[in-house]
Amino acid sequence: MTRRLSWWMGGILMSFLLLFTFSVFGADRPIGASTYVPYYAGILFGMDPKEYTYLQEIEKAGAWEGVMLLGALVGGFITSVFVTKTFRISVIPAGWKAYKNNSVVSRLLWSFFSGFLLILGARLAGGCTSGHFMSGMSQTAFSSMIFGGVVLVTLLVTGKYFYKKNEES
Amino acid sequence: MSEYFNFVLSRTEEMFNIVQNEGHGSFWLVFLIGIVFGGIIQYTRVDKFEKIAGFAMGKDTIIPKMLFLAIGITSIALYFEIKMGYASFHVKPMILSGLIIGGIIFGIGMAIMGKCPGTGPISIAEGRVDVAVGAVGGIFAGWIFTKYYDVIFKPLMGPSLGKETLISVAGESATMWVFIYGIALILIAIIIPKMELFDEGDIEKLDDADRPDIKAAKDDEKFEVVK
Repeated sequence: MTRRLSWWMGGILMSFLLLFTFSVFGADRPIGASTYVPYYAGILFGMDPKEYTYLQEIEKAGAWEGVMLLGALVGGFITSVFVTKTFRISVIPAGWKAYKNNSVVSRLLWSFFSGFLLILGARLAGGCTSGHFMSGMSQTAFSSMIFGGVVLVTLLVTGKYFYKKNEES
Repeated sequence: MSEYFNFVLSRTEEMFNIVQNEGHGSFWLVFLIGIVFGGIIQYTRVDKFEKIAGFAMGKDTIIPKMLFLAIGITSIALYFEIKMGYASFHVKPMILSGLIIGGIIFGIGMAIMGKCPGTGPISIAEGRVDVAVGAVGGIFAGWIFTKYYDVIFKPLMGPSLGKETLISVAGESATMWVFIYGIALILIAIIIPKMELFDEGDIEKLDDADRPDIKAAKDDEKFEVVK
């Protein structure tokens, strides 16, 4: 059995999953993967949903994604251990070592900061790669096309200036 | 302490009950959707730092190829699925400043983290400690966003300019436009030249037949290994 799916196989399978999730036979809703974060934050920080309008707004979407996320963790763990055999504990990605630095402190600080930005940005825009890019653009939504365009440009510009140009080894 | 523990427990139970009774699939179906979602992403290895940050650096194109293909196919099929009454639209509102400011912040975070909120958890599941630290940052962002939603973030997002789509605007010629849109995206996915940045630790796990470096050398594709 192959240990890695090709991009086109992945694209086709993801398309089937989206179509199933959208359909009345599935969940009759799109896939999203960033609303669960403030939902979990609300649980972990002991926030009473009655006091926060945002928690009331995301009560249902957050719960749905919260359960889906648990599944995604299990699914990712199963494939990494039994199929791709790529499960291993690591702190600095190889690409970061080659194009940024070798410092654990630097990687972890940047991780914390960029994780913060990811969720803040996604919540301001009302979606992320899953909710806007995949589910939204599949519905030909203009809101998602705008988000997709802005993210694409910012991603490439940040990548160009944040990382070193050539591998130093 | 036990009060806090009870709160977390009761809220988690509530989460399960909401999903079970909401009518968007039973708890186990939603859980299964998650398993398949995580499985596809892990199996294609698009949760790797080298794929997402590599794309940001202009050294890897697996992410855009897979994404555009998935959207292209789904847009055409979903249009007919909705037309036949088996699904409905769930469009996000056009909150202009929220989309632009949020998109910029999100793009910067995605390039540095090398993950997005969907692929991050899957990376944690395969043992990436740095991503777990990123998730703590994300939880803090979720907390601050929720806390100051009414006073800062909601006003910052701006008013909704509606939920228009290409389909709703095109009216009677919607079918034609959906085909143009979907086929254009599929073509973009195919045309983007295949480039890969690869973690050496993962290459060793692959059989010779699957080795992307061997295949790339044969097909004259751009390929780079990082240790």
